[in-house]
Amino acid sequence: MNCKTLHTKIIFFTEGSLPAREMEEIKIHLENCSNCAAFANEMKKTLAVIENENTPQLNPFFYTRVKARLENRVEEEKVIRRSPVLVRILQPAMFSLLLLAGIYTGIKIGQPAKISSDVPVFSENEVVPYFNEMETEAIENFLME
Amino acid sequence: MNETEIIQKLQQGNEPAFKELVETYQKLVVNTCFGLVQNTEDAEDIAQEVFIEVFRSIQNFRADAKLSTWLYRIAVNRSLNHIRDNKRSKWFQSFDDVVKGKTLLLNHYASENLGAELENMQRATILHEAIGLLPENQKTAFTLNKYEDLSYKEIAEIMDTSVASVESLIHRAKTGLQKKLYTCYKKKCF
Repeated sequence: MNCKTLHTKIIFFTEGSLPAREMEEIKIHLENCSNCAAFANEMKKTLAVIENENTPQLNPFFYTRVKARLENRVEEEKVIRRSPVLVRILQPAMFSLLLLAGIYTGIKIGQPAKISSDVPVFSENEVVPYFNEMETEAIENFLME
Repeated sequence: MNETEIIQKLQQGNEPAFKELVETYQKLVVNTCFGLVQNTEDAEDIAQEVFIEVFRSIQNFRADAKLSTWLYRIAVNRSLNHIRDNKRSKWFQSFDDVVKGKTLLLNHYASENLGAELENMQRATILHEAIGLLPENQKTAFTLNKYEDLSYKEIAEIMDTSVASVESLIHRAKTGLQKKLYTCYKKKCF
């Protein structure tokens, strides 16, 4: 048996689940190959971890915690049941309305302002008159006084 | 109280029966969850959820089924869901990265003379990571066989499959595990 074949069978060898002939072949190989022997040893130690984990320490407060969690759930459900109209209908309705209002406002803000006039009006015509006093108060009036 | 009595009393909402159920099956459920999630705190947390689910859905329990089989199924499903939820956050981490990251931390403590205990922790970390990378059904079959010492027939019942499938799943799980551990050994993760 070569090293490569051995590496595919080492876990079964460690468990002792291979046929007797193959077990014997692997044993002979391990006696003569220090690399494979080191890997086999490491594999054995690693798999032994499962054996130790098989017996976990039981938490003495486990039942108390399960009970407390169960009671909390019951309480939470009671609160939900007490106000089903508010929680199930009003809250989603309010959120939907707010969302719609937000979308509507967004669309309105995004639209360019419409000017309803036949005469072409430029933006400067709309703003300038407020600053242009010449139109309302002619310069001659100052000179005449 | 035998199993049938516990079920009958639970269906009537009897609290001492629930306590007995929890105390009787606590080890079974926690151990199964631990085998799959590989973390004590998470395993206990999931096990608590399992018992809550049992308490709530005991009315739907069929009397012809075994209580332990039902508990195993819930524990396995809950644990796999937990793993799926956790996987999203670990998506970009490869096996080697995870193992190296953890072993670096352990090596740091090992250098402070904590010896054999830490060596075992390191091995456990490597093994857990390797088991964690197995496909779900292989992991389930392997865990039930190794951590719970269940027979292939019992595993087949829990996983709702044939004995031959379980046999194949466990064989593939062991081969996969061996391959991952060898890769790690070559890269000197140990």
